[in-house]
Order: sequence, then C-alpha cells, then structure tokens
Amino acid sequence: MDISSSVFVVQPSSGVPLYRQLIDQVRGMIATGRIKPGDVLPSVRQLGAELEVNFMTISKAWGKLEAEGLVEHVRGRGMVVTAARKASVQAEQTRQLRVLVDQAVVRGLQCGMSRSELLGIFKTSIEEHLQ
Amino acid sequence: MSEVMLEVKSLRKSFGTAEVLSGVDLVMRRGEVTGLLGLNGAGKSTLLRCLLGLLRCTAGTAAVLGCDSWNLGASEKARLGYVPQDVFLFPTLSVKGMVDYTAAFYGNWNASRVTELLRRWELPVNKACGVLSPGERQKLGIVLALGHEPELLILDEPVASLDPSARRGFLESLLELAADGNRTVLFSTHITSDVERVASDVALLRSGRIQFHEDLDGLKERTKRLRLTAGASLPLQSDLPGVLQWQVNGVTGVLTVNNFTAALPDELRAKWGADVVIEDLNLEEIFLANN
Repeated sequence: MDISSSVFVVQPSSGVPLYRQLIDQVRGMIATGRIKPGDVLPSVRQLGAELEVNFMTISKAWGKLEAEGLVEHVRGRGMVVTAARKASVQAEQTRQLRVLVDQAVVRGLQCGMSRSELLGIFKTSIEEHLQ
Repeated sequence: MSEVMLEVKSLRKSFGTAEVLSGVDLVMRRGEVTGLLGLNGAGKSTLLRCLLGLLRCTAGTAAVLGCDSWNLGASEKARLGYVPQDVFLFPTLSVKGMVDYTAAFYGNWNASRVTELLRRWELPVNKACGVLSPGERQKLGIVLALGHEPELLILDEPVASLDPSARRGFLESLLELAADGNRTVLFSTHITSDVERVASDVALLRSGRIQFHEDLDGLKERTKRLRLTAGASLPLQSDLPGVLQWQVNGVTGVLTVNNFTAALPDELRAKWGADVVIEDLNLEEIFLANN
C-alpha cells in the first residue's frame, strides 16, 4: 500500500528538527502496525510539497530510516518498509525511550514523589494503553 | 562537495566612522537555502548589498558565482536574482508593462511561469505600479526576480509586507524553485518560522560577524536548555564550555548550551548531583539565546 502524505504532520517551530519528527512518526506507525512491511513511503517531492517544507528535509529523514534498516529503496517503487526490526534499531529505540522516561522520573522526583508513587504512575499508564 | 556559489572573506564595511560589518566570513554552496537572521541594524541588508556589488566593501572580499562582487559582468548578473526591501518599479508602467520591460533584459525568461505566478498571487496586471499596495509591490518584485530562474537568489526581507496567505504562497514558490537542488537561496528575515520551514541552513549575523552558519537540524540538536535541580546550591558562575545562558536560583538552575551532547546530562549529574530535564528549543528561542 502507498502511504498517503496526509498522515504526516510536522511542526516547523518545534524544537525537534523536522527530519526527526518524520522519523519518529514513521517509527511510531510501524510500531503500532499502522504501516506494514511492503508499504511505500510518499516520495520526497510529494511529501515536501504537501507539508511545504524543504525537500532536503524529507530526503534526509528517508535516508536515515534507510540507514537504520527500517525502509529500503526499491527501484521503481520508492522507499519500502522492510520486514524485520533489527537488533540495532531496537537498541536505539530503547536508548531514546530511556531519555523520555528519565525526564518523567526527574519531574516526579522534583515534585517530591516517592518510588512507589512513580512506579504506580508507570503501571497505570501501561495498563491503560495495553487495554 | 558542490560548487561554491557565494564567498565572503573578512568583509568589513563602514559608513563614516560607524563599522557595520567587522569581518564577515560566509560560504554557500549550490543547493543551499540559507536564512540570514540578525537583529535590526545587525547589517543584514549591508551584507546582501555588498554581495550584489551595490556597496563597495571597506576591506575583505565578496564574490558571487566565482566573480568579485564589485566587478560583476552581464553574464553573472543574468544568473542572479535580487529582491530588495524597497522594490524599484516605474510608477507609470502597468504591472504587465513592468514585467515586459524586465523580461526584455533576459534571454532565458520563463514567461509561462511568470504568468502563473501573477495569476496565483492575484496581481492586478493592468494596474499602474505607482498605485500598488506595499504587499503587491513586494509580490511583483519577487515575480520579477524569479522570471529568469536565477541560479543564485538573494532576498532582503522578502516577506516583510506580505499577509500570512501571501507569505505561504511565496514560501511555496521558493520551495518549487529550490526543488531541483541546483538553485541557491540566501534570504534575510525576522520570521524564524519561515526559516524553519524552507531553509536547509541558518546564519546569524551579530556584532558585525557571522556568529554561526550551519544546518538547521544540527543547530537544533546542539542547542538545548537544561533545567537542573541539584543536591546543594549551584554556583552563580558557570565554568562549563558553550554556555549561552545560566540562571541560578538556589538549588535550581536553567542552563542553555550550544554544544549539547548526550553525555552532558550525566556530567551534570556527576558534577552537582543534579537532576536534569532537557528541553528542545525552536529557532526563535535559539535566536534569542544567542543575542
């Protein structure tokens, strides 16, 4: 399936570089099963025109995803989502998640929360999302 | 590395005793779209005018398309596009007349593209240039500068008098022009969100020099704000390298750095026993932190 350009949304005035916003969205959609192996990412021109951002931003994002092994360039089709998640990708995802979790933990500690209160919050959040 | 399209070395420019540019260095390569930022009076227009040979450098050199800016020939000028802050138009000519007049100077005029732009931007082709609104003047100036599809386009605050819809239209046209990766664009602006959308690179002019010129993504990745909560009072002065801002209030502190790495939070934890929250900054915040 060709992935529609309209599923992507970027915020140019966010502190997160645009290419990274796109990478995170592709990763997220793969993780939640919204896009599947064999699906094709929009072309650089198509998505650049749709989002009105510099085309180099899109090619940079797609290039990084390719280097990570999440997509591969297939002649005549474009950037195709690959089948398996590689160990290196998993390690990188863990590292990035760690940064987010650390921030939440620090915030909690600054508010004076205890270990068990923090654990409780994480537990509740996980339970809610796995339902 | 792609071809150098523009090169400024140790450029100085004074007006009387007032030095506006005091040693500017800047290189742009083919395909780059650079947003030039700087406070009012930082010298953005002066730099652009030196590049175009409209002002003579007091010292140092400026060159575009491999040719000294002060001695540009007709063949170089044919490959350049420029939109000044105040566009010069003959007041008695109609918009169409002004387009025809300008087209006559160029052998490679893309008439269909110009017609398309005039239509898209709803410019009144039969109206006299003298009675155009500031926004219309600016739109026409941009159309005239894009007509010969310049390899190097220099724009001085191109969107200053445009309404949000016209601004988006202009940015779209700029992206179309830059899409083939062969055009190079340098534009000065105050509107950082425009830079974030279309620019590949950003340059900051401050105190008469280019403080940084680099790719926008790298800039965002290396400039971060860290909120610290330490075990004991934090020092009032910071001895860390690359600090842009350092505000301390007892055990809490706010630190803005221009050399962020993933290892920095750990260093701060080890140094002060501090909890660290990392914040991303957008270009406007980065701009303010650097001024």
